[in-house]
Order: sequence, then C-alpha cells, then structure tokens
Amino acid sequence: MDETGLSRAAGVAPYVAIGIVSGLFAALFGIGGGIIIVPLLMLISRMPPRMAAATSLATLILTSLIGVVRYAGTGHVDWTAAAAIGVPAILGVLIGIRFQRRLPADWLVLGFGIFVIVLGLKLVLEIDL
Amino acid sequence: MDLELTTLIIGIAAGIGAGVLAGLFGVGGGIVFVPTLALLFSFDQLDAQATSLAAIIPVAIIGAWRQSGEDLVNWRAAAIMGAGAALGVLVGAEIAIRIPDERLSQVFGVVLLLVGGDMVIRATRRLRKQA
Repeated sequence: MDETGLSRAAGVAPYVAIGIVSGLFAALFGIGGGIIIVPLLMLISRMPPRMAAATSLATLILTSLIGVVRYAGTGHVDWTAAAAIGVPAILGVLIGIRFQRRLPADWLVLGFGIFVIVLGLKLVLEIDL
Repeated sequence: MDLELTTLIIGIAAGIGAGVLAGLFGVGGGIVFVPTLALLFSFDQLDAQATSLAAIIPVAIIGAWRQSGEDLVNWRAAAIMGAGAALGVLVGAEIAIRIPDERLSQVFGVVLLLVGGDMVIRATRRLRKQA
C-alpha cells in the first residue's frame, strides 16, 4: 500500500469502528445506532454536533433498510402501523431540523447529553418504557 | 370508536415527537417508536422492533436529505459506518443469543450516564464561559 493508500485506510478505520460498535449495541440492547454514532463522531472524528447528527441520520437509512430486509419475510413488520407512526414522524423530523438550525451548538450538545442520561437511567433502573 | 380515535391521536403525537428527536439529535426515533408500538398497539418486542425499523426509513431519508442541503451530511462516512453496522449487528446477534442481557443492559446504561454526563458538563462549561 502506498502512502496515500495508507492515510486513506487510516481515515476509514474510525468510521468502520464506529459502525461496528453501533451495530453491536443495536443487536445487544435494542437501542439503535444514533445514540452511539453521534457522540462517537464528535469524540473520535471531531465532527461538529450538527454534522454528527446529520451524518448519523444518513447512516440510519442504510441500517434501517438492512434491518427491514432481514425482518420483511418473517411477518414481524406491520406496514400499516409503521406508516401510522412513520408518516407523522416525517413532519416531526422537519420540525426538529428547523429547530436545530436556530439552536446554538452548545445548547444542542446539552440537550443531547440530557437525552442520553435519561436513556442511561432507564437502562440502569430497568424501566421498561 | 372513541378509544380508536384516542389511539390514533396518541400514535400521531408519538410519531411527531420521535421525528423531532430525530431531526434535533440524529437518532432514528426507535427509542419512541418501540415503546409506542408495544404499549399502544400491544406489539411484542420483536414485532415492535421490526416495525420501528420500517418507520425509521422515511425519517432517516427525509432528514438526511433536508440536512444535505446545508452540506451537513458526510455521505462517505455514513456509507462506511452503515457497512460496519451491518457487520456489528451480525456479531452482536451471536453474542446476544449466548449471554443473558439484563446485566449487560445495566452496564450499557452506566456507559450512557458517563457519556451524557460528560456532554452536559462540557456544554455547560462552554455556555458559562460565554455568559
């Protein structure tokens, strides 16, 4: 491998690692990729918060598609229910992004931190909700 | 009929709420979708998780598309992470079959508390400095 090849590989490695860790945690704990991907992108790849969140969403296109393909034949996917909550969620995501644009990055990180703490408490205290 | 209307309204509200979290923080919304499906429509865990994945697809597509207009999406990183995640899911599923997950979940919860706490402390410090 020449030098540019090496540095290219070094640039890819953190993303591969973040991907594997998020997939591992998703399978083990049923908590999807974003909660892992966003902090790791900020920490390891030094991405600004908004870019980390946007790139996480793009990653979830792939992971949710793969997941659905795996489940599709098994009868576990209820498409009507998925549409009932997924279609209103499209409106929600547009609202969330609009709100995010006006929010200073530090407030965004603060909000995300609180969100992560709530999830952590839920797991530690074994609250099934 | 009354109950059905209530169910529908709660479902729509939960969907919008999940979407707002997705747009703000870049999570998929499964954290809201799964319990909503389980409690509201009495889905079992596997049905809820599989259906939640289907509901995440349009959210992720529309969200990423909207953010790409501001050039915020690193598509190359996303593709690589997506491929890595596919591998991680396969390995994780093998582990999950062999190890009971109650204790593991609590360990993961502690990790989340540390990560979240670190973010809150850092952000608060920076906000104080600015003030």
